[in-house]
Amino acid sequence: MKLHEHEAKDVFAKAGIPVPRSLLAADAEGAARAAVAIGFPCVLKAQVLRGGRGKAGLIKLVKSEGEAREVAASLFAGPHEVRKLLVEEAVAIDREVYLSITVDPASAEAVVLACAEGGVEIEELAARAPGKILRERVRLTEGLLPYRARNVAYALGLEGDIAKKVASLLEALWRVFRANDAELAEINPLFITKSGGVVAGDGKLSIDDNALFRQAGREPGRDYYDSDAAFEAAAEGIPYLQFDGDISLMCAGAGLTTVVYDLIVDEGGSVANYLEFGGPNYKKAVRAMELCLKNKPKVILIVTFGTIARADIMAEGITEAILKLKPSCPIVACIRGTGEEKAVEMLRAAGLEPLFDTEEAVRKAVTLAGAARVAGAAKGAVE
Amino acid sequence: MSIFIDRQDRVLVQGITGGEGSFWTKHMIDLGTTVVAGVTPGKEGQLVEGVPVFHTVRRAVAERPADAAMLFVPPRFTKDAVFEALDAGIKKIVTIADGIPLHEALEIRAAAVSCGARVIGGNTSGVISPGRAMMGMFPFWIDRVYKPGRIGVMTRSGSLTNEVTAMVVRSGFGVSSLIGVGGDPVPGTRFAEMLPDFQADDLTDAVVIIGELGGTMEEEVAEAMRDLVFRKPVVAFLGGRNAPKGKRMGHAGAIVTGGKGTVEGKTAALHAAGALVAARPSQVGELLREALEGRNHKKERT
Repeated sequence: MKLHEHEAKDVFAKAGIPVPRSLLAADAEGAARAAVAIGFPCVLKAQVLRGGRGKAGLIKLVKSEGEAREVAASLFAGPHEVRKLLVEEAVAIDREVYLSITVDPASAEAVVLACAEGGVEIEELAARAPGKILRERVRLTEGLLPYRARNVAYALGLEGDIAKKVASLLEALWRVFRANDAELAEINPLFITKSGGVVAGDGKLSIDDNALFRQAGREPGRDYYDSDAAFEAAAEGIPYLQFDGDISLMCAGAGLTTVVYDLIVDEGGSVANYLEFGGPNYKKAVRAMELCLKNKPKVILIVTFGTIARADIMAEGITEAILKLKPSCPIVACIRGTGEEKAVEMLRAAGLEPLFDTEEAVRKAVTLAGAARVAGAAKGAVE
Repeated sequence: MSIFIDRQDRVLVQGITGGEGSFWTKHMIDLGTTVVAGVTPGKEGQLVEGVPVFHTVRRAVAERPADAAMLFVPPRFTKDAVFEALDAGIKKIVTIADGIPLHEALEIRAAAVSCGARVIGGNTSGVISPGRAMMGMFPFWIDRVYKPGRIGVMTRSGSLTNEVTAMVVRSGFGVSSLIGVGGDPVPGTRFAEMLPDFQADDLTDAVVIIGELGGTMEEEVAEAMRDLVFRKPVVAFLGGRNAPKGKRMGHAGAIVTGGKGTVEGKTAALHAAGALVAARPSQVGELLREALEGRNHKKERT
């Protein structure tokens, strides 16, 4: 779960990491009032979960109440579904650095990443000049010892009081990383101010979904998802990704669903959504099909090859879903695995022609979707 | 000899009295596995499929020494269960748990390394040497997928393994040992760490790697091939070739981060090391044949 900037900064502040003074606003009038309270110039920052906000025009400096109101109104009205603005004091910056803590899967250790150039996209920097990124690995059992934090601060070329402040801030960031079960805790940029302070200019905190059960109060609401269907699927515990193509995937197994996605693209088709109703969800076929139908797909493609996710139970659910939801689009089904003989009988009884080969099923789905698109276009032309 | 688990290995099952634990214990026994003890706190004295249950791993191994532990334990209790098995001196552990907290996955791996133990998983179906033994949850109903043979398989995905292994078998091959390392970003054991075992295994002629986007495990296989740590033919199939950037495709580990982990990069690394990479599951069988014949030609020439 990725937190919004203002949430991440709240966590940082509680851990003793300095953040700019700020207020949250939910509409243009509120933003104008907040700006007056913070003082000018100040910065309006759209609270959306995407990178590159500066380039996308989602962070704006304003110098007056009128300008704040006007800029806020345009941000709320823009295409990025902005629901909240963080109105933040403008800090007098001397320089910027990059700091983050994440997991290095290959070594199975945590790693501090730091760079003397702040404010740049770290992924872009990693590709362009990987040598500029400092890495300090940390064993979880050992924790971030102070000497490691000092290693990082001095390697960034910092000196005196500032080096000490950055080192102690990094120790605080480590506590945030551990206490919040973070996948990523990032400050980019970290401002070194003209008055000799250190302030988190931005804040990213991504919490491991597998640990949300012990992170009280962290329940992602609608504004953490890019569609209603994705939000509803998450509430059901059904893995779901939103796309905008023709074919709804209703598959079982993460690896297999990913490959079905690949094969559809290879065949020239497009995916409306990735949905996986295997694992603990194999009895949720009705709910799964409901979510697929929200995308008005041209075809629903069902591919499974389950061990625990029993084919016969899934077929029973699919039959029930067809009766209840009466989908108008064709359904292509390829269900194999535990209980497949019974599953095939049930699917035939429900009027489907079950297939046994994934690649054949994908080709059929892509062909049907193409035909539906042509028919749709022809109908549009006649009308 | 087989990889990781064989008939004579004594297996202890943690979480044996649960629904999954008892169900799969039966199938493990049916497939040849020697299950010597079960553990569920508070249930000592019971029998599951004829296997005696103990309160703790320590109490179990005192009466019934075990070589391996199979965990049917929910993700949030998995670290505790792994540490309990390690503490009792068990060196081979398989955990199927899907959803182990990331920080705990790091701790599990560090503990396993420091004990000289091997933890397979989580988020896996487990390990099987068809016709010999099994730890985990593999289809007991079908030798279309898990037919004994001479091809080693390593995989990050259960559902995809059924799909790809069915193709291997359809092409006339069978499986020597299959290791599901699992779909998590930080698995207990990585692909490359199992390669020396497959290299030494005289029941394995070639290895199929079922990988996907995310992480660097496939690149590490390529490295082991380049360094001649592994010298048998490798055929890989990788999921997520067309996955959009920044999307996590199903498995927690299946995401490109920091520009690392693209299927394109993995394919290039594997090709450069001499592996064959299948574009679709149905190609895996023919590429295996090609790889094995290619090797035989080389042998004839030298």
